[in-house]
Amino acid sequence: MFSALGEPSRLHIVELLRPRAYAVGEIAESTGIRQPQVSKHLKVLAGSGLVDVEQRARQRIYRLRAEPFGEIAQWVGSFERLWATRLDSLDHFLTSNGREQRPS
Amino acid sequence: MSMPLLGKKKSLHFERVYAAPVDAVWRAWTRPDDLRQWWGPEKTVVAECEVDLRVGGRLYIVTVASEAMGKYAGTRWPMEGTYTSIDERRQLTYDARQWTEGSAATETIQHSTEVTFIEQGPTTSLTLHIDVSSIGPGLKTKMAAFGMKWGYKSQLDSLERYLAG
Repeated sequence: MFSALGEPSRLHIVELLRPRAYAVGEIAESTGIRQPQVSKHLKVLAGSGLVDVEQRARQRIYRLRAEPFGEIAQWVGSFERLWATRLDSLDHFLTSNGREQRPS
Repeated sequence: MSMPLLGKKKSLHFERVYAAPVDAVWRAWTRPDDLRQWWGPEKTVVAECEVDLRVGGRLYIVTVASEAMGKYAGTRWPMEGTYTSIDERRQLTYDARQWTEGSAATETIQHSTEVTFIEQGPTTSLTLHIDVSSIGPGLKTKMAAFGMKWGYKSQLDSLERYLAG
């Protein structure tokens, strides 16, 4: 999914889709990217699971999927958890006076 | 070569009070034999630990996944840092990068760490501040053995705003 976001136009489209769903034509209009290009970018984004498409009458409506973005946010939380655990471990080390080895 | 992490610094901040005198806490952070005993997360072993405690000196710690980690066993996660300031028993700062050995050089995380020690009688208050300044442009770095899911890409400034908004 990350390579899918590596292209500035695609990132631009993702930004646009933040508040609401858009039809392909609207995306082209708002971003100034030609519609065939927009379709190509959307195909990549959909292929990476970043957007969902819904066929409504003659229009294809695209919206962001929430989960993949949560994953990106998650790593910061993971780093934080690692440090929280490490500081607990330091507590254990200090209160055991350094005599006890932590189990590994 | 690294790109800014999600466009801006990510900071972590911790405050803890330890039931140990400041000398002991300082030693725990600055003596390899002490560091080894608490640095590695569960199911890991600190295989290498070098501390050259002076400004410009090197801090190098390699954490290795133990057998308990199954398929990750043997995976090595080095962290290499440089001390940027040392104020004995009060504060130390270092800039470091960490990565998974064998992964692309582009999958490196850089951060600056500030550890502040405050003596409070028989206890010590410790403040830890980490600024994650950048990550390599490698498509994804996995530290799955830590139960982490790391994934990122350069040029995610807008995405950062997305997440923040």
